[in-house]
Amino acid sequence: MAVRKIDLTTALRPSYLPDEDLLFVQDNVGLKYKLPNQQNGQVYLTSHRICYVDKAEPRRQSVALDLKDVERYEFYAGFLKSSAKITLIPKATKRSSLHSSIPSRSANGTPPQSQRTDSPFRAPPVEQPSASTATWVCTICSFSNPLPSNFDPATATAHTPLPPCLACGIKPTLAHVLKAAISNVSRRQTAGPPLQTPRPIQPGFSSQLSVQASGPTSSSRDPSPQDSDPDASFQCPRCTFLNHPSLLSCEICGAPLISHDLPAGLTQQSRRETESPGPFLNPSLSGASSKGVETPENVKLSFRGGGEKIFYERLKGSMTQRKWLLQGAPPIPKSSRYGDPLADNGSGTGKGVGAGAPAERVKIAGIAGLEHRGEAMRKNNELVIGSAFEDLEALMASAREVVALAEKFARQVKGAAGSNASENALLAESASQLGLITTKDIVGSGSGDSLYLSELSRTLAEFLTDDSRGVLKRAGGIISLVDLWAKFNRARGGVELVSPADFEKAANLWEKLELPVRLRTFKSGVMVVQGRDRTDEHTIKALLAWLRDLHEIPPDGELAWDWREFGRGVTARDVAERFGWSIGVAEEELEMAEERGVLCREEGIEGLTFWENLIDTGEGKGYRDPAKEAEDRMVKMLRESGFL
Amino acid sequence: MQSSPTPTPAPFAFPREYFFPPFFTRQTNLTTHHAQLVKWASLVLSYCRHHRIFKLSLSGQSPTTTTTTTTASTTTPTTNLLDATTPSSTTSDELFHNRKLNRKLSLADVREVIDFLRKDGRAEYVGGGSSGKDSGDVAWVYWRTPEEWAALIEAWVDETGQKGTVLTLYELTQGDATRGAEFHGLDPELLQKALGTLVKRQKAQIFGHEDSQGVKFF
Repeated sequence: MAVRKIDLTTALRPSYLPDEDLLFVQDNVGLKYKLPNQQNGQVYLTSHRICYVDKAEPRRQSVALDLKDVERYEFYAGFLKSSAKITLIPKATKRSSLHSSIPSRSANGTPPQSQRTDSPFRAPPVEQPSASTATWVCTICSFSNPLPSNFDPATATAHTPLPPCLACGIKPTLAHVLKAAISNVSRRQTAGPPLQTPRPIQPGFSSQLSVQASGPTSSSRDPSPQDSDPDASFQCPRCTFLNHPSLLSCEICGAPLISHDLPAGLTQQSRRETESPGPFLNPSLSGASSKGVETPENVKLSFRGGGEKIFYERLKGSMTQRKWLLQGAPPIPKSSRYGDPLADNGSGTGKGVGAGAPAERVKIAGIAGLEHRGEAMRKNNELVIGSAFEDLEALMASAREVVALAEKFARQVKGAAGSNASENALLAESASQLGLITTKDIVGSGSGDSLYLSELSRTLAEFLTDDSRGVLKRAGGIISLVDLWAKFNRARGGVELVSPADFEKAANLWEKLELPVRLRTFKSGVMVVQGRDRTDEHTIKALLAWLRDLHEIPPDGELAWDWREFGRGVTARDVAERFGWSIGVAEEELEMAEERGVLCREEGIEGLTFWENLIDTGEGKGYRDPAKEAEDRMVKMLRESGFL
Repeated sequence: MQSSPTPTPAPFAFPREYFFPPFFTRQTNLTTHHAQLVKWASLVLSYCRHHRIFKLSLSGQSPTTTTTTTTASTTTPTTNLLDATTPSSTTSDELFHNRKLNRKLSLADVREVIDFLRKDGRAEYVGGGSSGKDSGDVAWVYWRTPEEWAALIEAWVDETGQKGTVLTLYELTQGDATRGAEFHGLDPELLQKALGTLVKRQKAQIFGHEDSQGVKFF
């Protein structure tokens, strides 16, 4: 299923994948997909996904659609009362039993091997190696493994990752796989010439052709597909075992079998997997898939608050960029002249030139080699920076590299100067989050400032609750708004700084958005930020527990009063030290506790100290008549001594 | 009536709060402040009662007292009790000043306590000033109000069958006959006030001159 539930962060935003970039946010968007109650929420367009976060029930109704599952998308500008819509047509889902036998091509993820050949920096190979039939036989257990779909014998080097044997887990040698691939290609070239014309697949592609296209041996195997012959056994294209026709994979070797009645869409589908999911596809897919393939439902995004045009533009951009293919990939050598910038930290100067021209590699040893390497690295950095800052678009595109460079520089600076390490660490670590911050550019313009503010508010909440950063935790669970503002802007690294006014407005939204942090204003007007679960009662409890502890702990010096009974007075400084708060916060918290009648104050020559409130012990609101009291005492004494 | 009014030689037992340092600081929290006032008020009352203090000096370090010593015969009734004869050293200023803690209730706060007592009719500034600012710094502390004193005297007169007879004020407070009664050794001014309430109720009549007044109970 293309649409699935997503995890939300504490701030009710989608939690991003490692390399995901936020591109656009738009609120007031309805989602038309099966469920009726996803009619108002925010849509986040990232480089990998489209996330819908419901406004009313974010935890239950939020879903995401992977862009890689999107077949194509349509734009509807809206007419009269109907709002603008973007329709996303997902790829047809396949019968699971079929594609499970093609592990390297599973529909739910880009196989790690595909990164190299499918990267946008390289033209997709014109010839599609048919992975369903190309196999290599394991030398250990003689199991026939399918060849990785992206394995290209022309470009494979010793560094090309090879999947281990599916049965025994032993990695094959490159030569072995290479041999298998080449023999397979040569076999196919003789057997299945129609495969040489891979795309585009036209809508009216006949089912007969698709059966032919499904395997190199199809022509020899069963030239005339007879849909209604139940007794016809099915010869495995690989081991020639005659399988039952209803089987989808060979009983003996596990090779995928192509059934007689396989619909055209299915075979098309399996081929299209390795191709670009770009928006050129045939519109008659639904007709073709009506037979055996589960019909995927279109997902409609209805933009009630505008912003559809920018969304569409950005969606188009990210669909073309196909960043999801890059997930987790090391920086890709752009071209031979760039060299290999950062991937191996300069382990070889000639490495980035690529496998195509290994002869160019000049071997220089010793100090000259080191110097040469440094020179090359500097040149490379220069190139990266130069090209990145050419214009804004280029900067966006190469953001990751620039950030990596910046981090490296920061490390070098730190190493040289040995300066404030923690600050630098915070900076460096925050720079990597650069892609995830909300900027005015990202949010839709339709709804004005409010969306920006609410997004900023969420970003702030995430920033605060982020465990790795521990901003709130380090400040003892409470931080003044001004401190937070400074920290936040510093973490942004000088880019897209937030104005104090916006900041305060965003902070005020926490309550409304039900985020896990809240803004609190003390009596004096000092505004602080703290977790939502941190109520005054908690604070008071902690304070009281500490004060009661002081009854047990003997003081340093001699005290005039009975510390066992009264404890000790604490100053704001003591409290700040004890709980890790700032002094201002400690003062405010103490006054809050006093206001609630839990503490009482003592102003002496030593300054203002706070004590557990033993004055208002709650017994009787009015004083008693001393005479009566004396009488009572007398009566009591008499009773005790037995006179009464 | 009651047991001996003679103050026990035992020192006054201060309440627990007296040794609690914040007790000497004016609390800002209203509820706490009220509780503080209540506690101070009851402390002042019981302290004055213990030491039989009728007039309390607020700023002066020694509260003016008329003490009923067991041999009270020498005491002459004087109207101005600031020149009181036997200032009891034990009670000098320990009420508002805890020397052990080195904590002291400030004068403003003392006035607040007195004001608090005044609202209950348990205190009054000598001279009758309404607010603590312009009136003197001596205040009556009514650990028994004049009405209560009057009732005590009336009951004693009733008991001893002296209705209709004339008694001097001196007799009432210092005479041998009243020894053992609680109002023995009562401040003459306070006695005047107490008898005044009786007069208002037509229960007594005062006649005579300044220093030799007599009272007749009906």
